[in-house]
Amino acid sequence: MDQEKKTLGFYAHIYKMILLQDLKSKMSYRADFIISTIGMLFTNISGFVAFWILFQSFPDIKGWNYYEMLFLYGFSMLAMTPVQCFFDNNWNLSRALRTGDFIKYCFRPVNLFFYFISEVFDVKGLGQFAFGIGTVIYAWNKLALPLTFANIAWLIIGVLSASLFMIALMNFAAATGFWLIGATSVMIFMFKFKDYARYPVTIFNRAFQFVFTFLIPIGFMAYYPSLYLIRPEHLSVLTYLTPFFGVLFFYLSYRFWMRGAKQYTGTGS
Amino acid sequence: MEPMIQMTGVHKEFKVVNRREGVRGSILDLFSRDYQILHAVNNVTLNIMPGEMVGYLGPNGAGKSTTIKMMTGILEPTSGEILVNKRVPYKNRTRNAQDIGVVFGQRTQLWWALPVIESFKILKEIYRIPDLEYKDNLEYYDALVGAGSLYHKTVREMSLGQRTLCDILAAFLHNPGVVFMDEPTIGLDVSMKGKIRQLVGSLNERKGTTVILTTHDMGDVDALCKRIVIIDKGKMIYDNDIEHLQQYFGAYRTMKIQFCRKTEELENKVLEKQAKEVEKWLLEKFPLAKSTAVSVEDKWIQILLNEDEIRMMQAVNCIQDNRRIMDMNLQEITTESVIRKIYEGEAG
Amino acid sequence: MSAVHGILSRMKQDLALVRGSIMEGLVFRTSTFASIIGNLIYLVIIYFLWKAIYDSSPTDTVNGMTFYDAMVYLVLASAMFNFLNNFVVWDLGRGYQSGEIVEFLVKPIDYQRYLFWGTSGNSIVTFLITFLPTFFAVYFITHGSFSLGINLVFFAVSVVLAVAINFCMDFFVGTICFYTQSIWGVNIMKEVVISLLSGATIPLAFFPEQLRKIVDFLPFQAIYHTPLHLLTGEGLVISDYMKAIGVQLLWAFVMLFISKAFWKRSLKALTINGG
Repeated sequence: MDQEKKTLGFYAHIYKMILLQDLKSKMSYRADFIISTIGMLFTNISGFVAFWILFQSFPDIKGWNYYEMLFLYGFSMLAMTPVQCFFDNNWNLSRALRTGDFIKYCFRPVNLFFYFISEVFDVKGLGQFAFGIGTVIYAWNKLALPLTFANIAWLIIGVLSASLFMIALMNFAAATGFWLIGATSVMIFMFKFKDYARYPVTIFNRAFQFVFTFLIPIGFMAYYPSLYLIRPEHLSVLTYLTPFFGVLFFYLSYRFWMRGAKQYTGTGS
Repeated sequence: MEPMIQMTGVHKEFKVVNRREGVRGSILDLFSRDYQILHAVNNVTLNIMPGEMVGYLGPNGAGKSTTIKMMTGILEPTSGEILVNKRVPYKNRTRNAQDIGVVFGQRTQLWWALPVIESFKILKEIYRIPDLEYKDNLEYYDALVGAGSLYHKTVREMSLGQRTLCDILAAFLHNPGVVFMDEPTIGLDVSMKGKIRQLVGSLNERKGTTVILTTHDMGDVDALCKRIVIIDKGKMIYDNDIEHLQQYFGAYRTMKIQFCRKTEELENKVLEKQAKEVEKWLLEKFPLAKSTAVSVEDKWIQILLNEDEIRMMQAVNCIQDNRRIMDMNLQEITTESVIRKIYEGEAG
Repeated sequence: MSAVHGILSRMKQDLALVRGSIMEGLVFRTSTFASIIGNLIYLVIIYFLWKAIYDSSPTDTVNGMTFYDAMVYLVLASAMFNFLNNFVVWDLGRGYQSGEIVEFLVKPIDYQRYLFWGTSGNSIVTFLITFLPTFFAVYFITHGSFSLGINLVFFAVSVVLAVAINFCMDFFVGTICFYTQSIWGVNIMKEVVISLLSGATIPLAFFPEQLRKIVDFLPFQAIYHTPLHLLTGEGLVISDYMKAIGVQLLWAFVMLFISKAFWKRSLKALTINGG
């Protein structure tokens, strides 16, 4: 057996294989697939309805008009797609830990976090992605944003970086399960933040702007990266730092997760 | 030859929480906890040679799974040294994982929703098994247990026995140096147990794989292992040949019989009278079988025999000559009862 | 005599279940702490969001609610969410898939009852550790923005009914999982519908009139809107209370009946098909 280090290509190849197989088997459970997709549509539609109801009574919020808010909303939906699609197995972590099934992930010659996460690919997230794209395009038109290469490129980079924050948040939340029983409640709580990522950070006072920028970084999930597109005249340095912080935050969450796993397997269960 | 597994003076300690009882206790636990040091593995020294099949036994909580976790590299010993294939397992878990296989009796490691063959293909990539080796193995598996008919079933559609079988095949797929098996036959019926034992035996023989087997069923060990290691309360209390151990359980067999369909409704008095009769028949016919003992347990007539003195079938025939047996079964010997006997042997 | 004995032994059974789940609830101390901190952060967000909303409005009162009213309502609604939220749908769905429910049928206790009392302990714990403190905090911080009088009695009754309606709804939805194999999808639909149409996320007062009319005829508003309305509503008279409770009672019976009937039917299909 070769001693060479496992490369990114190796992992990409394995991930692709598992993903395709998983998709194939998902298709054979059509009822579940359809109902989950409808369920996902429900969440998105109800989000819009709530949004719409609010704006029935108020024309704008702190100087942010309906379409700008809608843009943030769409952007946040796009940013939530990766966590939904690729990192969904975090939700099964606490059960795997409780039943002791987690141990079975520990004996493969591949990265433990990768191996655990790769097990589930969640197709439902794609519906949300479609919704997000639609919303962003609609708001983009209404706001008459210029359709330049830089803007499109930034939209892609921004969404990808923003998504890292939510992934990291869920990694942190799931990993608490290595120490605590009932980590699901921590996850539910963290997952709720996705619903608040769609509001401008400026609605908070200074102290909480700090909290939601650096501690629970929901500001990066839509607001800061979107500024580049919808309020270029009010750019923040944080806008440009989004990709950098995203990677950093993800890396920290990964280390935390792995530490937890190491700690857990040592508890003798 | 270098040992495959080398453990020298291995210790493992855990800190455990003492939970208090009742609602009051739960509330107290909210605010303060008190801890206790548990010596899960206490000074274990052990050498296992390549190709050996070792039965690793002990009651629940004896430290078996802790030892296995240390050997597989997911747990670091508090002190002492472990080498698996000349490597320190916990220092490079993934590298070590390349050379080992693991099987859990009731916990499949295959992808639940995928056909087995797809799981195998993924494993082929993960372990980077060369094409030829992979093909060879699949063919051998098919010849050995007719695995081909299972390949296209998903794991979730399989019976426990089929699943275990596939898990074992998967564990040997990348030709590891050591395979760890944790209760591989738990929950299986007698014929499936036999099949699994045969499979493990053949794989070990053909590939020269070292196998560490933990189990509660003496039958597994009896069928497969030449060497037995027993651990209790973290300490090794036995490491020797199976023949040597047989004096503790070897020739003794327990069988249970019933003469009527509805024995639950019979009074114990009646059953005891039947037991006395059985004892009389057996002693009359085999006066030299002095170890024979008959008793009543749970509405069954239980007969303890020493097979050196009297063969099981002889006893059955003798009883059958006198009265028709409606139902009977043979008792499995558990490792616990053997361990108990070891302690008793020491005391006596 | 034997009837009394039966009731007593039933109560003992129920109490044991409640006691067990209270203890479980306490063991999960971290999840309790997590949910307390979680609530606080959630409330902060709600506070700033609605403050921003009201700051942008030309008038202090919108749809008959001041910022204070809206906050009190939303804070209490989120506190209620904690003890109304349970995993009944998951329990049922997983229990069906793993065959546990079929095994359960041999036990001498009705499954719906078992599940209800089993989850109620947890609800009681969360009620005591999260709802009550929030309730008093809100009361003192707002210098008594709602009165503490007869409305408390009706609020208490209304909460109990809300718990019952919510449970029956969960039980009903959980039973649907027998047919769909999809727990997640079914559960998320339920959660979304309840949180929007019950007034848990946005007070019903903000709903456009047409929508409001529809919502008033649905059972969801009986879970969050009714208890909170009875607690904080101003100028309510006894007949208002009685009417609201009456509507809730009606919904409770309807939901109990529907969930029970559906459960029985599904069980029959289950035992015939052998799961």
